[in-house]
Amino acid sequence: MEPLMGMGVLALMGAAATIAGTTEDLESDVGSQSNPNSQVQLAPQMMYPHRIYNKAISGEPPSNALICAIGGTVASVLMTASLSVIFAIAIGALVATAVHGTYCITAYMGRTASQKRFRQPIYLDILRSHTPVMMGYAFITTFCILVVSYIMVAVLAHPFPLTLLAFIWGITVGAIGSSTGDVHYGAEREFQNVEFGSGLNAANSGNIVRKAESGLRNGIDNSWFCAKFGGPVTGLAFGMTVFLSGWVTAVFNPATSLTMGWLSVAAGVILVLLMIIWNRKIEVAARKAFGPYKEEEEVAA
Amino acid sequence: MIDVAGIIAENILYIAMVTLGGMLISWSVHFVPVGGAPAAMAQATGIGTGTVQLAAGAGLTGLVTAGAVMAVSDSPLLVVASGGVGAMIMISVTMIVGTWVYVYGVGVPPASAKVDYDPITKDRQDIYVSQGTEGHGLPTVSYVSGVIGGALGGLGGSVIYYSLMSTSTGLTQSNLVALASIFAVGIFFVNAVIPSYNIGGTIEGFHDPKFKKWPKAVLASFVATLMCAFVGIITIGGL
Repeated sequence: MEPLMGMGVLALMGAAATIAGTTEDLESDVGSQSNPNSQVQLAPQMMYPHRIYNKAISGEPPSNALICAIGGTVASVLMTASLSVIFAIAIGALVATAVHGTYCITAYMGRTASQKRFRQPIYLDILRSHTPVMMGYAFITTFCILVVSYIMVAVLAHPFPLTLLAFIWGITVGAIGSSTGDVHYGAEREFQNVEFGSGLNAANSGNIVRKAESGLRNGIDNSWFCAKFGGPVTGLAFGMTVFLSGWVTAVFNPATSLTMGWLSVAAGVILVLLMIIWNRKIEVAARKAFGPYKEEEEVAA
Repeated sequence: MIDVAGIIAENILYIAMVTLGGMLISWSVHFVPVGGAPAAMAQATGIGTGTVQLAAGAGLTGLVTAGAVMAVSDSPLLVVASGGVGAMIMISVTMIVGTWVYVYGVGVPPASAKVDYDPITKDRQDIYVSQGTEGHGLPTVSYVSGVIGGALGGLGGSVIYYSLMSTSTGLTQSNLVALASIFAVGIFFVNAVIPSYNIGGTIEGFHDPKFKKWPKAVLASFVATLMCAFVGIITIGGL
């Protein structure tokens, strides 16, 4: 493949991955999945009943790997039956979404029903309004990941089967979403009642914000807030992962010679070194901007 | 009838390599700074997710890169190095974006609660830890530790994939790739889970006292992966 063409394909993959990352994080914010859900689960036990959707089907990586693998399997089967690629991917994503919606409903009903003794109601209007939103986000995530996986198999001639690639990217997008965007939801949105930047004392556990900008807060209010920062940066992270890991081998193609292969490894290492320096710069700036929490006193090194 | 002894004798080197790969993955997980649910609330240093999740995410991204390179190159060293680099890129990107969220989204500086001074930058840590928390964000030592963990995990996964792909078999190429990659993913998960018992939810990196427990996990991984290697190699070799 021509290098310019290769870069175009990579850009398309990066764009699809960015959308997938964003919607993956927003889906987990609407439904409150992954680690921040521990607070949503804990709140009623601390006598703070709420109107926030409480699912956490599983950790985000297995949950996304499941829907992507289902989508990939259905799409592969439909493609072998000579259906058009777009149609196959769309139907695959649709089937995956239906499975996801089922899990969302059973998770909400099961989790909330088990909290009856803490007087946490099951809100049927929350179930009706939130589940389609999550299914919509899950559809976009699955569709985009299937697009990335299909491009890798069909255009970049990756040897792995489509379903396995979709599974792996599902694990990766879940790992990234739960590592980046969820922190914005868990550490900031759920605890806007404490001063910004004061840190979150463990004693505040369970005391999540339950009042919204208007009325009582629900999962869609949370995704509205997280869509301003947590969601897009998750998208950037997943887009960068897909783009950069492909970019090093697209620019220095190992197929041409062994030297090029080693250059691609060196390029990857240089990118990582740059990111270590970048992290250090942010660390220094943050320490300077926020300052220490306690008075400085000498301790033994 | 499958000649089990013959397959093992023929591929003994690959069994050893798969086992080595598994042990590498097990060791690598100890380097990855994860804080689990407390870190997602900025109450513990590290990335706000589970050990297995992040290690698997990074290692499997490395496996995708290694698979792509193995399709076009014969050099085993290059395949393994590419796997390491793919995983390093994934974990570095995740950690840098994590830092953005902690610093710009939550407003806390990166700080470790396990050491008073960062072993790499010599910066004071304890006074930057907010009240009632066990640190937050990714100080430089945790970041570097995470990169090392990602690299080792990617190397381990690629060694396993390369060994399974090199096993003598009667399978067609596409079936071999599918089987080898699924076995590689499975063995990766086995070895990503074993260290979780050492880590118990949170670890900051190689400066954390829990890191010293790694030999136990690596020994357990040796036993577990050896069995996985026998099953994997006999399955692929016997088909």
